[in-house]
Amino acid sequence: MQFTRKLIVITGLSVTVMAAVAAIKPGDPSVEKYKNLKVLPKNISSKELSKIMVDEFQDDLGISCNFCHAENKDTHRPDYASDEKPEKQIARYMMRLTIGINKKYFKLRHPMIGDSALVITCVTCHHGSPRPENATSQ
Amino acid sequence: MAKKNLIIDDKNDDGIDRKGFIRCMAWAGTGIFWMMSGGVLKSYGMSQMIDKTTGGLKKGLVMPPSDFSFVQISDSHIGFNKPANPDVVGTLRAAIEKINAMPTAPSFILHTGDLSHLAQPDEFDTLDQALKAVKSEKIFYVPGEHDVLNGNNKEFLARYGKGTKGDGWYSFDSHGVHFIGLVNVVNTAEGGLGVLGNDQLNWLQDDLKGVSNSTPVVVFAHIPLWAVYPQWGWGTRDSAQVLSYLKRFGSVTVLNGHIHQTMQKVEGNITFHTATSTAFPQPQPGAAPAPGPMKVPAEKLRGLLGLTSVHYMEHDHTLAITDTPLTEAADKVSQ
Repeated sequence: MQFTRKLIVITGLSVTVMAAVAAIKPGDPSVEKYKNLKVLPKNISSKELSKIMVDEFQDDLGISCNFCHAENKDTHRPDYASDEKPEKQIARYMMRLTIGINKKYFKLRHPMIGDSALVITCVTCHHGSPRPENATSQ
Repeated sequence: MAKKNLIIDDKNDDGIDRKGFIRCMAWAGTGIFWMMSGGVLKSYGMSQMIDKTTGGLKKGLVMPPSDFSFVQISDSHIGFNKPANPDVVGTLRAAIEKINAMPTAPSFILHTGDLSHLAQPDEFDTLDQALKAVKSEKIFYVPGEHDVLNGNNKEFLARYGKGTKGDGWYSFDSHGVHFIGLVNVVNTAEGGLGVLGNDQLNWLQDDLKGVSNSTPVVVFAHIPLWAVYPQWGWGTRDSAQVLSYLKRFGSVTVLNGHIHQTMQKVEGNITFHTATSTAFPQPQPGAAPAPGPMKVPAEKLRGLLGLTSVHYMEHDHTLAITDTPLTEAADKVSQ
């Protein structure tokens, strides 16, 4: 009798644990863990991030990854998490500026870089150039 | 008239004189047919070869005899949907139709990178699905920088990198020609220049050790291995080392993509050739503030996209390169 009761309790617990595990949403393979994102959402998907890098930065400013991303001295590959290059800090500032303008002057509620609803984007000023025309050189 | 004047001083019976060569160079944007023999080029305008109403070869035109041929396609950018070309799958299919309309099916296809626009699994799936229709035995790939975005080349290697070394470089022999696929997009240099890296260069040096000087060599990679326009990153930082390894060979052909336009250069024994994209054109070097998708009138788009076919004649050790635009006639075929 006692054995049967134990068996029921163990079975019940096992079912509960299995149900709890099944209820956890499986990891979305498209969402990668990126280190050191400060303006873009930390849970951004690979596709969204790539689209921003290509459409907003590569095409709108006419630059490649190395413009902002430092090279890893050991692997010689871009170190995407590194803040070594000042251009990356400027890019963050520019993204905040773009979001702020869209929020303040165009009353967008939750503007995000890459949104098609943005009124002001990188290309508004850059026109395919890393430094907008008439910008003073530093 | 221009056609008659094309070859007027053909002393070497090679089908080309200097004036004709310069004229042909000016046609590069519209497609030309190239034959190389010992560093000497023979060229014919595609306008003479292509029937504008069908988009295929003119009726009765006999292609030069060749032991085998292959086709290069490049920069499909599946996933791209901006105004420069909102239907990149459609233009890729038009290129496939062109390949399938060839009188002799090519032995294989080389895709010189940027298969996808954002390196996403669904983009690679779409490309694979479209390329199932191509009539050819095999397709060889090298990645473009869009296929390895954000430092992730795992997806590309899992799909197309079986049996390759390092980041996906490899070589193979076919019909007496040695083919080498190089990867110059994983490590990139300042300004977007391609980089091959020491590991790959060491491998290449080793790979070439067993290849005789008389073996024709074809090297293919995404970013040009010659300095097309370094200001836009259209070149490879350590390509000089590759070229030094290739000096001893009698015939070397280097095929690249990346710049989305046809360009050709001959330097000693090496012929460099960049292919047009199947997706969208880019501006000519220096003609815009920066490289990028170039919007052209819809009726002109397919004239700026295309594919490259290469015929090889074993006895002469020559490679003939032909660029074919995706003309409007191709639209009719694909509809």
